[in-house]
Amino acid sequence: MENNHPMVEKIISKYPALSDKIKIQRENRLWMKIDYPDFRKFLEFAAADLKVDIFCMLTGLDEKENYSFIYHMADLNGLMLNIETSVPKTNASIATITDLHPAAELQERELTDLLGVTIEGMPKGQRYPLPDDWPEGEYPLRKDWTADRLDKKAEDING
Amino acid sequence: MAKKLVIPIGPQHPALKEPASFDVTLQGEKVENILVKLGYNHRGIEKACENKPYLHDLYLIERVCGICSHSHATCFLQAVEEIAGLNVPMRAKYIRSIIGEMERIHSHLLWLGVAAHEIGFDTLLMYTWRDREIIMDLLALLTGNRVNYAVNILGGVRKDISEEEKGQILKAMDVLEERTKYYAHVATEEITIKKRLSKVGYLSPEDAVKMGAVGPTGRASKITRDIRAEDKYAAYGEVDFKVISDDNCDVFGRAVVRIGELMESYSIIRQLIKKLPVTPLKVPAPLRIPAGEAISRYEAPRGEDIHYVRANGTDKPERVKLRAPTLANVQSVSTMLQKGYLADVTIVIAAIDPCFSCTDRMIVAVNGKDEMTWKQLRQHSIDWYKKNRGVDFTKVKLGIK
Amino acid sequence: MLLALLSILIFPGFLFLFILALAAEYIDRKLYARMQTRVGPPWFQPFADFIKLLSKELIIPELADRVIFRTLPLVACAAAATAFLFIPVYNAESIFSFKGNIVAVIYILTIPTLTYFLGGWYSRSLYSLIGSMRVLTQLFSYEVPLLMAVLAPGVLASSWTFSTVINFYQANGFLFLVNIISFVVAIIAVQGKLEKVPFDIPEAETEIVAGTFTEYTGPLYAYFRLAMNIQTISVSALLAAVFMPFGYNLGFVLGVIVFLLKILFIIVILAVIRTIFARIRMDQMVMLCWKYLTPLALFQIFLNIILKAVITQ
Repeated sequence: MENNHPMVEKIISKYPALSDKIKIQRENRLWMKIDYPDFRKFLEFAAADLKVDIFCMLTGLDEKENYSFIYHMADLNGLMLNIETSVPKTNASIATITDLHPAAELQERELTDLLGVTIEGMPKGQRYPLPDDWPEGEYPLRKDWTADRLDKKAEDING
Repeated sequence: MAKKLVIPIGPQHPALKEPASFDVTLQGEKVENILVKLGYNHRGIEKACENKPYLHDLYLIERVCGICSHSHATCFLQAVEEIAGLNVPMRAKYIRSIIGEMERIHSHLLWLGVAAHEIGFDTLLMYTWRDREIIMDLLALLTGNRVNYAVNILGGVRKDISEEEKGQILKAMDVLEERTKYYAHVATEEITIKKRLSKVGYLSPEDAVKMGAVGPTGRASKITRDIRAEDKYAAYGEVDFKVISDDNCDVFGRAVVRIGELMESYSIIRQLIKKLPVTPLKVPAPLRIPAGEAISRYEAPRGEDIHYVRANGTDKPERVKLRAPTLANVQSVSTMLQKGYLADVTIVIAAIDPCFSCTDRMIVAVNGKDEMTWKQLRQHSIDWYKKNRGVDFTKVKLGIK
Repeated sequence: MLLALLSILIFPGFLFLFILALAAEYIDRKLYARMQTRVGPPWFQPFADFIKLLSKELIIPELADRVIFRTLPLVACAAAATAFLFIPVYNAESIFSFKGNIVAVIYILTIPTLTYFLGGWYSRSLYSLIGSMRVLTQLFSYEVPLLMAVLAPGVLASSWTFSTVINFYQANGFLFLVNIISFVVAIIAVQGKLEKVPFDIPEAETEIVAGTFTEYTGPLYAYFRLAMNIQTISVSALLAAVFMPFGYNLGFVLGVIVFLLKILFIIVILAVIRTIFARIRMDQMVMLCWKYLTPLALFQIFLNIILKAVITQ
């Protein structure tokens, strides 16, 4: 993959280790992977130096040993930088980014509800999007989860 | 009158057309605090998408929302087509854009009516919804459906626009443009509307960026972002249009932006119809999509719609994630309502043009601990009527003989 | 005695009033619909609605005071109908006439509003509570300009009795046209009294469901609606007598026709206002009443005092 995108050059000059982890899909779509410990620093760098400061979406993925998170960030010119990072399932916990991007709040809550990931430093608030009486330990977006688990549970309760 | 009242607006309330809950803490008529609860409309679409072939997902995703069905379907397809490397023919892209703009017109007219209704101006509601019929009929003519148009298929569109239909579209645009000019006049000149909308639901440009406001909500706060101009998807690279924005930062500004966008949409449709190229309608699409991922952005009537699709080489996606514009906008509602009046709550909520079925997408029916089963519920109602009304329903048979 | 009973029950009493009230609702709804490019209801719709509501299940909130909750709609109906008995219909004399009856009518007409307030208050529901507080706030805003506007014509006639006022203006040709300012003030204030757009704040559907009436169902709600319609007629008759004091010496048939035309005129004005405005906010309503309507009504009273001095010289 050729690295002739102006933003990619900027990133690599600051983080040379990332040079083989950036993919240019097309002019406005950049994909990159970063280790979770470096992620927070990179997000701050992206907002301050690259002007990629609009939080668009946060996707949580269930991969075999890891939970992956893709932070889809945009800038004012239509560029979208997709930053993927992951944590092992044994330690499924990430820090909130709502102090940098308050817009991420609902989507982080979604991760907690649907994927069962702990978000550190989350402000108090309503759960989203599952109902208040949703049974504990059921995380619908995990790959091993199917809806019949709930039916079974309901049968156990109601007889 | 020092006592504080907590007024529940929702989950069921005449002002909300879809379930969502806003608990408003009041000091007299003034709003002190607002608590937003969402998720009543979660239907499990993202999870369901992982278990179905792409072709089925398309129809499922079209049903994320009634009003912006075309937006979601197109957005999803753009992502899948990018992964599969399909080169969608130009005519199909034009038709997608035409339907997309018509959807915007229908959605904005609907919003104008709903907003008028929220401030008790039912006359404008009746007028705009009458005109919305024109565009709905047109959509039915072009696609066969009034709401879920299903005009998209993987690799193109399913139906062409004939010469005769072109004429009808242009005629309808003239009628609508004239009427919209009148509504612009009414909405910006009429004194009670102005009084009710100006300086209500203020969202400063800084807050708008911070809370991630998109679409007309953001554009009314001086954020001139429009994905149609930024990303130039479908046929938007080939037409001229202005990105409408406003510096009022209030509900009035949001109305001005939407009316301005209506006028732009008419002009976009005229340009698209005029330039409509002659190419095939679709390219053949494979059932199995090669492994890969893509993100697709689309300027839906309510703002930026984003779909992420990851494919794993089979005929079913590995992961589909969508973010509807309302999810981005709803977080700014509590900022807008600071120090507002109770009377303004519903119009401010309506001003982001909320679409909660878009926002919430996933749930499977569940029976919790204290919930009754269908049988228990039926027994309870029979007992209640026996005790309180002396009517015995046990002899009534359910179902048809 | 029999004649008095007949006039209370049949004409111009309750039956006549009942029919007029339903007709008023029909005209209002039909006009409103036609102006919104809708078809509108058939002529019997208000009556059908009334019957339908009577046959519906009655649900009283558990926390509500059952006796008061049940009595209030009837009190509202009775008060609105009583006010009508003091207002002249086809001749200058009303069925029950006494000195200063214009003031009495205005006060009787506040009773329905107070019952709406109490009805909401005793429902013990959040929406009703807010609705009833709004009813009261609104009452204190429109009542002052309304009172002054309705009394202004009497200032010129040196009396607050219907018969004297009407006879005075009938003897003086087109003199009643000087009261046009207070007529406008009264029409706007009446729109607030009848809780119609732009002043339907106490029952603003999109904010507080149905305001004071949220918990009222079935027959009780039917009576409240009827009270509202009778109130429309009573208020229109009041405005007709005070601001259009002509045609009261034409005999029975012609007199009634002129009276109905006047009421129709006022209902049409009210329906047009309802069509062309959006609902305003409570604080804006208070502002409007105290900042604009009250000074206008005061101005009319001063004008009439000066005019009176000029005339009597």
